Amino acid sequence: MNSRERVLNLFKGEPVDRVPCFSGMGNVTEEGINKLGYRFAGIHLDAKMMADTAASTYKLFGFECGVVPVDLCVEAEAMGCVINVYPLAEGILYPTIKEKLIHNESEMGVKVPADLATRGRVPLLKEAIRLLKADIGNEVAIGSYVLGPFTLAGQIMELNDLLKLSFKKADKVAQLLDVMADAVIIVAKEYESAGVDYLTVREMGATSDVLSPRVFKNLILPPLQKIMKEIGIHSVLHICGKTNDIVPFMMEAGPTAISVEQKNDVAETRKKLGSDALIFGNYDPYNVLVAGTPEVVRETIRKCIDDGVSAVWPGCDIWPTVPGENIKAMMDEVRKHGGKK
Amino acid sequence: MADDARKKEILEKLKNGVIQYDEDACKEGAQEAVDGGLDANEAIFDGLVAGMEEVGRLFEAQEYFVPEILMCADALYAGLDILKPHCQQMDLGLKGSVVIGTVEGDVHDIGKNLVKMMFDVAGFTVYDLGRDVPLDQFVEEQLRTDSDLVCLSAMMTTSMIGMPKIIEKIKAKNPNCMIMIGGAPTSKELADKWGADGYAEDASNALKEAIKMVSFLRKLREEKAAKK
Repeated sequence: MNSRERVLNLFKGEPVDRVPCFSGMGNVTEEGINKLGYRFAGIHLDAKMMADTAASTYKLFGFECGVVPVDLCVEAEAMGCVINVYPLAEGILYPTIKEKLIHNESEMGVKVPADLATRGRVPLLKEAIRLLKADIGNEVAIGSYVLGPFTLAGQIMELNDLLKLSFKKADKVAQLLDVMADAVIIVAKEYESAGVDYLTVREMGATSDVLSPRVFKNLILPPLQKIMKEIGIHSVLHICGKTNDIVPFMMEAGPTAISVEQKNDVAETRKKLGSDALIFGNYDPYNVLVAGTPEVVRETIRKCIDDGVSAVWPGCDIWPTVPGENIKAMMDEVRKHGGKK
Repeated sequence: MADDARKKEILEKLKNGVIQYDEDACKEGAQEAVDGGLDANEAIFDGLVAGMEEVGRLFEAQEYFVPEILMCADALYAGLDILKPHCQQMDLGLKGSVVIGTVEGDVHDIGKNLVKMMFDVAGFTVYDLGRDVPLDQFVEEQLRTDSDLVCLSAMMTTSMIGMPKIIEKIKAKNPNCMIMIGGAPTSKELADKWGADGYAEDASNALKEAIKMVSFLRKLREEKAAKK
């Protein structure tokens, strides 16, 4: 069984020989970038460089997927925000939103541009997906990600205002989130048509560290359900931070799998959701995978598997300075320990 | 102010105004404090800060979440803006200044703003560099202002990596400057490893840490008053 079959079987609910070790979020490494002779700031704006870099984590370490994009700004940029890729940065800086689309409450009535599918870097991403698929698509599953409606809204307007309004004027925010959902669906369908095997919806802004489970249910769940219904391929709903109280709602949103991070007690989540639920997680991609020793990595991975994850999967993007020996230790531990269910 | 009952009523109004995120009540309470000749520092600490302490507790108990805290902060500022011009500078043996900002690559500033609020409350001079701040700007601003404290915030793992560079540079030039780091990806271990003096992992913890600090100032103030 190769990595691709393993991941796709898992999504389909068919037997696998062991838990896979992959991600639906960014996982490029400095080692991969350097070997290719690229610069981090350059890979966001060039489909080939993006695809080559994304493929390198599989090629170098056997990580069981290929995922583009690398940053979190594609949808907001297509909606009309201006982004900063920090072209002159020496080290690694991820692109951020430089200019918002909505500056105050009165501007919240934004519409999805009719040509969203051809704006910003959406076409570039489609090209990157095609290249990535042509390169390693027979060996691993190809993934991409979109933002959740609340997280996208937090990029398009001041997060501070969005949070307060989600309390004071929930109707207005609900309307905006519905528009965000439409935008996300358009981008997701473009990625689908380019040939990705699975899509992760990243709704990290709606973590229980920030929003109450009640607000999550009332405000965030409906647009998430709308998105999940429209995604025709395997989907993963990712929320970081505290999530133990909202995992049932995450399932209700209707994804194929949910993804949680290290703050989630996965043993409890497994108990709550039952043995059939696909739960991906939940190692700390910085404090363990980058800053830990190979032994700490192995221990953590064993714990994830023992707690009952369906796939060993990081809590967020993997930070590019990750030591190669740590990824190798992780892959090795999954091979050794991941088939014992 | 002679009338203790009236004083208590005003302090309660300020406190509850913050807890119930009622900006108007805080404005009213603050104006009544000023008009009634109530000590402005007392109104801030025993009214507004006492309210914020309760908000911190409610957050911890998961009764309040970030939207509520932000609204409480607005209420606190509504009162603070009125009281501040009437404040006496507290003598704490510190210059009482802080450079604060979110590091380059990060545009999240909610945690940073909550910490800033508590410094404002404590009467610190706050040099707020905003968000997405180039690393060298922290160093330059600290040297320019000779601040007691520098607070660095990062919400994303992907942006906190700049922190050790800033800490190293500042400590090299000014070993006495205290440095506090904060944000979801930070940890006590990282703070220790990078040579920072304190850390707070999220907005609530930042708020708690800042409340702790301000509560400590409040105690000092009380002790001083008791000695008089």
